[in-house]
Amino acid sequence: MPAAAQLASRPGAVVTTPHVRAELVAHAPEGVAPGAPVWVGLQITHQPEWHTYWKNAGDSGLPTELNWTLPSGVAAGDIAWPVPRKIPVGNLANYGYEGTVLLPVPLEVSSNFKPPLALGTGASTLDVRLKASWLVCRKECIPEEGEFTLALPLQGSTALHKAEFDAAQAAQPLPLGGPGAVEVSGNSLQVRLEGLPASAHGKTLGFFPETPELIRTAAEPGKDWTQSWQGGTWTATLPLADQRSASPTTLPLVVALAEADRQPGQPVAWRAEAPVSGSWPAAAPRAEVSPALQAALAANAATAPSSPASDLPPQPTVTLMAALLGALLGGLLLNLMPCVFPILAIKLLGFARQAGNHSAHRRAGLAYTAGVMLSVLALGGAMLALRAAGAQLGWGFQLQSPAVVAALAALFTLIGLNLAGVFEFGRAAPLSLCSAQAKHPIANDFLSGVLAVVIASPCTAPFMGVSLGLAIGLPAAQALLLFAALGLGLALPYLVAGFIPAVALLLPRPGPWMNTLRRLLAFPMFATVAWLVWVLGQQSGIDGAGTLLALLVCMAAVVWALTLRGRTRLVIATAVVAFTAVLAAAIGRNVLQTVEPARLAATAGQRWQPWSAERVAELTGAGQPVFIDFTAAWCVTCQYNKKATLADAEVLADFDSKKVAMLRADWTRRDPAITAALTALGRSGVPLYVLQAPGKAPVVLTEILGKAEVRAALAAL
Amino acid sequence: MTLSPSSDSRSIRAARHARAALSRASRRAVVAAAVALGATFLMGNHAFAAPAVGQQAPDFVAVDTGGAKHKLSDFAGKFVVLEWTNPGCPFVRKHYNSGNMPATQKAATAQGVVWLSVNSTERAASDYLQPAALDAWMKSQKAAPTAVLMDEDGVIGQAYGARTTPHIFIIDPKGMLVYAGGIDSIASARPDDIKTATNYVNQALGEAFGGKPISTAATRPYGCSVKYKS
Repeated sequence: MPAAAQLASRPGAVVTTPHVRAELVAHAPEGVAPGAPVWVGLQITHQPEWHTYWKNAGDSGLPTELNWTLPSGVAAGDIAWPVPRKIPVGNLANYGYEGTVLLPVPLEVSSNFKPPLALGTGASTLDVRLKASWLVCRKECIPEEGEFTLALPLQGSTALHKAEFDAAQAAQPLPLGGPGAVEVSGNSLQVRLEGLPASAHGKTLGFFPETPELIRTAAEPGKDWTQSWQGGTWTATLPLADQRSASPTTLPLVVALAEADRQPGQPVAWRAEAPVSGSWPAAAPRAEVSPALQAALAANAATAPSSPASDLPPQPTVTLMAALLGALLGGLLLNLMPCVFPILAIKLLGFARQAGNHSAHRRAGLAYTAGVMLSVLALGGAMLALRAAGAQLGWGFQLQSPAVVAALAALFTLIGLNLAGVFEFGRAAPLSLCSAQAKHPIANDFLSGVLAVVIASPCTAPFMGVSLGLAIGLPAAQALLLFAALGLGLALPYLVAGFIPAVALLLPRPGPWMNTLRRLLAFPMFATVAWLVWVLGQQSGIDGAGTLLALLVCMAAVVWALTLRGRTRLVIATAVVAFTAVLAAAIGRNVLQTVEPARLAATAGQRWQPWSAERVAELTGAGQPVFIDFTAAWCVTCQYNKKATLADAEVLADFDSKKVAMLRADWTRRDPAITAALTALGRSGVPLYVLQAPGKAPVVLTEILGKAEVRAALAAL
Repeated sequence: MTLSPSSDSRSIRAARHARAALSRASRRAVVAAAVALGATFLMGNHAFAAPAVGQQAPDFVAVDTGGAKHKLSDFAGKFVVLEWTNPGCPFVRKHYNSGNMPATQKAATAQGVVWLSVNSTERAASDYLQPAALDAWMKSQKAAPTAVLMDEDGVIGQAYGARTTPHIFIIDPKGMLVYAGGIDSIASARPDDIKTATNYVNQALGEAFGGKPISTAATRPYGCSVKYKS
């Protein structure tokens, strides 16, 4: 970039590029002192045909930006933009400056200003540094920037550029007596201004709205828009921009005399901030999706129940068929568990003893299967009912949710520990019930199916847990199908033996191998935990994954401690539980946090903490008022409020004096917790500002956040 | 899958063009004239009123850098992104050199969106590029639009009210204009600003595909003025 090369040299007061000469100039006729007029400004001299832009650049272009670095106690005001001219570019138009323009900025010197110690020369100075960027265009556009420095002597006057500052002053629009009135009517803007001086009456005025993207900038007066005088009242009808992106309630505007009508020493332009009445034509921003696309989207949504956003961590893409097969195998494996296999072996040996009665065997097999299936489905149904109740309580059953991933990791750890023999699940039914036998043989077989599930419950629980883990994101019907597959797997050996008695003889004898197999099966469970921790790492970062592992270790210790006996159990379990609780309270939040770029920014700025409902409850519980900024990177109003009101020193001082905790809820990525909080406050979007004091109803502030409003709300705390 | 761009039709097109290589120049002139006529006809009364967001997007026919014809209404049923471009503009280079525009194009076309880059720079402009040169530049930037359309007469650009390069328009499957404005939220020529800016195209398409209303449907485009034939 051509301008960049200029910056390598030591900054001074002048930067020259092939298209402009830019100079930092100052005007302080009474020296630099509190109350004295001190002006600095960037003077841009353009090459012929080149131009830079006004605060509203028009159809294209960018306003010149000035970033000042000043010693403490000195503050720079806004650019006092001179009246621009309309620069037609083909069928477009811009507002800007050609020739030489000075963009003056007033400096406010407070009594706090301590000038730097004079070195040698004895004269103290005010050091002004400026980083400016401007877009200079002819037909082509070149973005340029420059750094400038200037040392203003404190004593004595700086008036070298008096003429230029006077000219810039003369090119300022004067404030108009009244605010004027703007009415939106159809696709045009009716402007009515009163109080223009007699010297302007009857003249054709140029119209410059300060808000961009409002009117058709290239509209030509007399052709596309009209103006007229009734006595001292100026009215105009201007066409709205076809693609308007602003709908302000107040329109700051400038009207200016044509260059030919300007008289030296007379005002050339006037400025008003006109309230806007009438309603802006509405746009219909909802995109229509074709039926075919809708169907494709619905199909996608059915296979992946969670949101289709592409930048989320990888999800388990276990298809239903694979899950069903897995459940079936799980059920089969369940037969080989030490708590199930002996029962199965006894029943199958019964078949072998009563050889020959094939039809009775088949009936027995079917009845047993029915018993197993029904009880497994009943258990599955109970779990789904719990899940549904949980969902109503506000659980988000999606694997994008770190909480669900962490809960699943905990569940699978427990299952693994159980299989490894660290602890046993209790049996679900008392033995006396199990020994009850029905007289009818088929009822007897059905009941023994039910009892197989009940008696085997210490071993069934882990397998049910795995099914539940798989079923967690599935609709109820598919989840029940998964439990059915598990039951079928459990019943299958007996069912098959009922039809093919030879199978019974093929089975191995019960023995220690059953326990070996059971412990072996613990490892797939731990492998699943490893995968879940990796998924969580994608969501919550290394801190989240590490915290989860630490908590899982604690949970394992708690489970182990509970298996101990007597006093040892009481002491160790209490200690481990207490330690786990402390650890969870201290770092548990890491697990649930979703890592995104905004979080880094949030932690860098100490004033703002990331929002969470828990954090709000915690702070208000401790008696501290909280201010919540519901914002999003894509919300322009939010950014405006953030940079204006929420960065204002006085406002921030008020926040500090009231010891208000400031939380920021970033809705850049849709976040169900934030959505829920917004809904609870009766809103469906950002910006939203809430001031909440303990024991009081939350105060919702307006979307365009005013400093006065915030300060009043804070004062009322 | 209904969402995938028609790569086979592209290869058929390429074959057709190899065969017609000899008569290409003369054919292009004829087609361009027909297109200009057709476009003017199609636009009818809309010649001077660009569509607002929520209105029907004007249909057009245009020739791409390879000489193939594209008609907007042929893409009915798909989202279409129109991107005004001009490699001579520093703002366009900001978004291409940084890889932002190619990445946005790839993300959109991967979702089945049709991406048409449009060059409305007049022939007399100093930075006008011949179709082959424009095509070569796009390739050198690893750009991934569905097609790069030539609009030297500015007919399409004026019909849409395209003012800057870049300037983005999104048309929904029903042919409605659903977004008009800038590529992102920070109007500057500094590539460093891209990472902190909101990419309005990604946001709008993400919301549309998520079945949500487009939260930011009209923004201020920024960049160089389109160099229209006057």
